[in-house]
This record gives sequence, C-alpha cells and structure tokens, in this order.
Amino acid sequence: MTSSSASARKALSKIACNRLQKELVEWQVNPPAGFKHKVTDNLQRWVIEVTGAPGTLYANETYQLQVDFPEHYPMEAPQVIFLHPAPMHPHIYSNGHICLDILYDSWSPAMTVSSICISILSMLSSSTVKQRPEDNDRYVKNCRNGRSPKETRWWFHDDKV
Amino acid sequence: MAAEEEVLAEVEAVEAVYGGDCLVLNSFPPHLHISMKPRTADVSFEQFVEATIKIIASPQYPKEPPCIDLVDCKGLDEQRQKHLLSCIREKAHELSSCLMLVTLCEEAVEKLSAMNHPDGDCPLCLYPLVPEDQQNETLPFMKLMSCFHCFHSECIIRCWHWLQNTKETDSASSAGAAGRPTQNMENRKDMHGKMKEGAGNCPVCRKPFHAKDLEHVLDLVGSHSSSQSSLDSKLPTGDEKLLVSESEITRRLKFEAILKLQEENSGLIEPKRDLVVLPGMFLPQPVTTSTKESAEQQEKDPSAVASGKHASGNSNGPSSSGHRNFGARKQRVRSDHHSKGHSSRKPVQQWVRKENANGK
Repeated sequence: MTSSSASARKALSKIACNRLQKELVEWQVNPPAGFKHKVTDNLQRWVIEVTGAPGTLYANETYQLQVDFPEHYPMEAPQVIFLHPAPMHPHIYSNGHICLDILYDSWSPAMTVSSICISILSMLSSSTVKQRPEDNDRYVKNCRNGRSPKETRWWFHDDKV
Repeated sequence: MAAEEEVLAEVEAVEAVYGGDCLVLNSFPPHLHISMKPRTADVSFEQFVEATIKIIASPQYPKEPPCIDLVDCKGLDEQRQKHLLSCIREKAHELSSCLMLVTLCEEAVEKLSAMNHPDGDCPLCLYPLVPEDQQNETLPFMKLMSCFHCFHSECIIRCWHWLQNTKETDSASSAGAAGRPTQNMENRKDMHGKMKEGAGNCPVCRKPFHAKDLEHVLDLVGSHSSSQSSLDSKLPTGDEKLLVSESEITRRLKFEAILKLQEENSGLIEPKRDLVVLPGMFLPQPVTTSTKESAEQQEKDPSAVASGKHASGNSNGPSSSGHRNFGARKQRVRSDHHSKGHSSRKPVQQWVRKENANGK
C-alpha cells in the first residue's frame, strides 16, 4: 500500500510534463479567482495560495495548498493537501488531508489544477461551521508516518459542505 | 382567423420537413422543439455537433417574432452556442411579420452545418484537437458517440489503457499482491487484448461509453505501432486523418487490424463481424447479438475463458503470450454488453483496501 507514494516521487513522464507546462501557461493567462501560484522551478510540486472568498467563513484568510503530481498525471490524480496550518473545516483534517471525492475515486483526467482549486474553494465557501472532522484525531494518528491521502480509502457521504 | 390558419399550415409544413425530429407542443400559438443535425452529417462519423432548439411564438406571431432558445446540444461550446442562437434570433427579427418558421429552421441547420467540426482543445492533453498551422499533419482524433466529446485518439486510448490496467491491478492486489497500476506500458500488445473489456466513462461528462466505441481506434492505432513503441511517440499521421474516408484506406486498415488480431491470437482468427475500421465511426450495439455471441463462444472454448481469469491474477508480468491474450479477448466478449463486467471478480476488489473509515 505504500507503492503509490513511491510512484508519486517518480519523475514526471513526458506526457505529464507537456500537460503540466500547458496548464501552467493557461494558469498564468487566466488564474482561478482567489488563487496564486507561487513560482518555483519545480514543475512536479506546485504551492498555491488560497484566499477565502469574501462573505464566507474564510474571508480574508490565506492558506497554502501543495499539489504533487505523479509520474502518470493526468491519468493518476495529483496529491493535494493543505500545508500547515490547514483551514478548520469539517472535511479537512488537521494534517492537511482533504476529503474531496474528485481528488481520489472521482478523479478524471479531464480535470485540471484550476478545476481542483475551484472545487476546493467552493468546498470552503459552503462550510457553515469551522470545525475538524469528527474522526480527526484517529485519522491523523493513523497517518503519522507521512502517508499520502491517496492511500486512504475515503468515504464520501456528505455533499452538503 | 385566416392568420391563424396560415400559422397552422406553417406548423404543419415544419412537421412535414422535420418529421420525427420536430415535436409540436402546441400548434397555436406555435411551440416547437426541433432537433437538428448538420446537413453534412448523413454519416454518423462525420457529425460533430447537434442541437435541439425551441421556438415559442406568441398569439401575435408573425407580427411579433418568436422566442428562440437552445434546449439541448452536443459538441458546441458556449461561444458557438451563443453564435448559433444570435444568428437565428437576428434572422427572426429580419423576417418580422412574415411567416418564418421554416426559414428559421433552415437558417439554424445552415449555421449548424457550418459548425460541424470539432473545436477547441483535447480535454486530456489540453492541446488543440486540430492544430491550425499544420492541417496536413493533424493527429487523428475521435469522438465519443454518446456525448460528442472529442479527444485525440492517442489520448483517449492512453486513458483507456490506464483504466483497464487499474482495474486489473486492483483485482490483483486484492488477492494479496500489492501494487499500483502497471507502469509497464511497454507491453501494449498484451493490453490491446485487455482494454476491450467492459466500458468506461467519458472523462469530461462521465457518460458511459462502451468498449465498442473505441475498438476501431484501438485497431487503427495498434495496426500502426509496433509493440515496442512507447505511448509517448507520435502516431504516424498522413492517411489516418479522420476526415479522410476513402474506401481504399478503410479496406487496408481493416485488413491490418485483422492481421494484428491474428498475430495476437497465435493465428486463430475470427474477424469481428460488421466492424468497419474508421476513426469516429460507431456502430449501434446489438445487445442481443453479443449475448448470443458470448454464449456461443463460451461453448466453443471454455478453456480460453478459464485462462483469461487466470491471467488477470498477475497482470504485472511482462508476458505477451498469445494464449493469454486470447483469453482476455474472450472475456471481453462476455462482458462488453454491460458496463460492469467481471462480476466474478468485482465484489472482492471493492472494500479490501479500506483501512480507515473516515466517516463524514
């Protein structure tokens, strides 16, 4: 069960590189509202600044997303986590793992970093209460050895938030 | 009153022209839904767009132009939808106080015909489907029959490979052998057999499509690339262009595909029935036939089915034995008429990997 984190560290395939370069160019031309890509020379790891949408619980708060791309992106989903401190949200664990179906089972290669960002912002925006998931402590303890959220078997049964 | 009769006659005329594609919700004042295809699209693989428009007229029609809107469309992005609508609406204003329903429909079909080409980027690699600068060297692309979403053939096939492989490996790992899908893309010959099983979902809209939608493309690509060629390499272009459909090319590709199949199956050959190899062309799926076919093939060769099951257990091996491919192919035949095949393996793979119940 650790092989997927190993493969995430593998260098990007040529296809993945081409696609990411294209995404980066498009991001620069038309970035999703509320997000800022922190420029590095590492194509395989993007760090993106998120600002909570005005009028929501997270207005004016800024968080950082870390997006790691696997060798076979976009066939495989990227690993997306919040860097510390992660926003207080019923679907976001204190270690930054995000319970959002499109990052795991429902990933489709037609999605992009942009579309992920928009989903995450919409997830933040629709939250009505700032709290951790109920099973936060148990889950975070389980992940202590640096496990990737992509190895978690997620349950998604709440589409309200 | 005479005016009303004229309008009724006009509605009848539209019905006569569009037949089953015209749904009359109300004759007076007219309220119609008309499904339109581009004029150039008598052959399904040359059709890339379609639209259903609604025309709602008021009792003052034709003095007052009718409202026109899109009910449904395929293959048209927002920009082209807007363009289509504004063209028809403009026409309606131009013709104000004349009876215009038939003319409006003609205008819509005209515009739709002008738009009958795929547009924009491939959703998978994000590069243009049809590069503008090099018309002669376009990569072949294909559209899915259910939703008209278009992809580079290469891209959608890569996606398909990946899906099939993930399925394979999932079931393998549930039996104890851990491992993430197969980075061993090099044995594509092997996968060529496997990928035909089951069905997938459109990466864009998730509408299911069937293996049959892809078969012709798989054959086309398979027949041109050797088993060593990596997925990164560009496909040979030239005569693979979608819109080139000379019967000669068709014929040649068809036979190349059959030859390929034959190689895979160690000389055993049963040409696929009614399969014409043309990118973008899709055949309706005769469910009954495939059921019959599968029954008859199972009867003929029960051992092949068994070996297919066996092979799926160790999908990571770089094997490319003809026997194994043969098995995989048979299995595909068994399951391709429903979206979820593998009823024998499915239940096992589902929940074994669950380690944390992250309830929310």
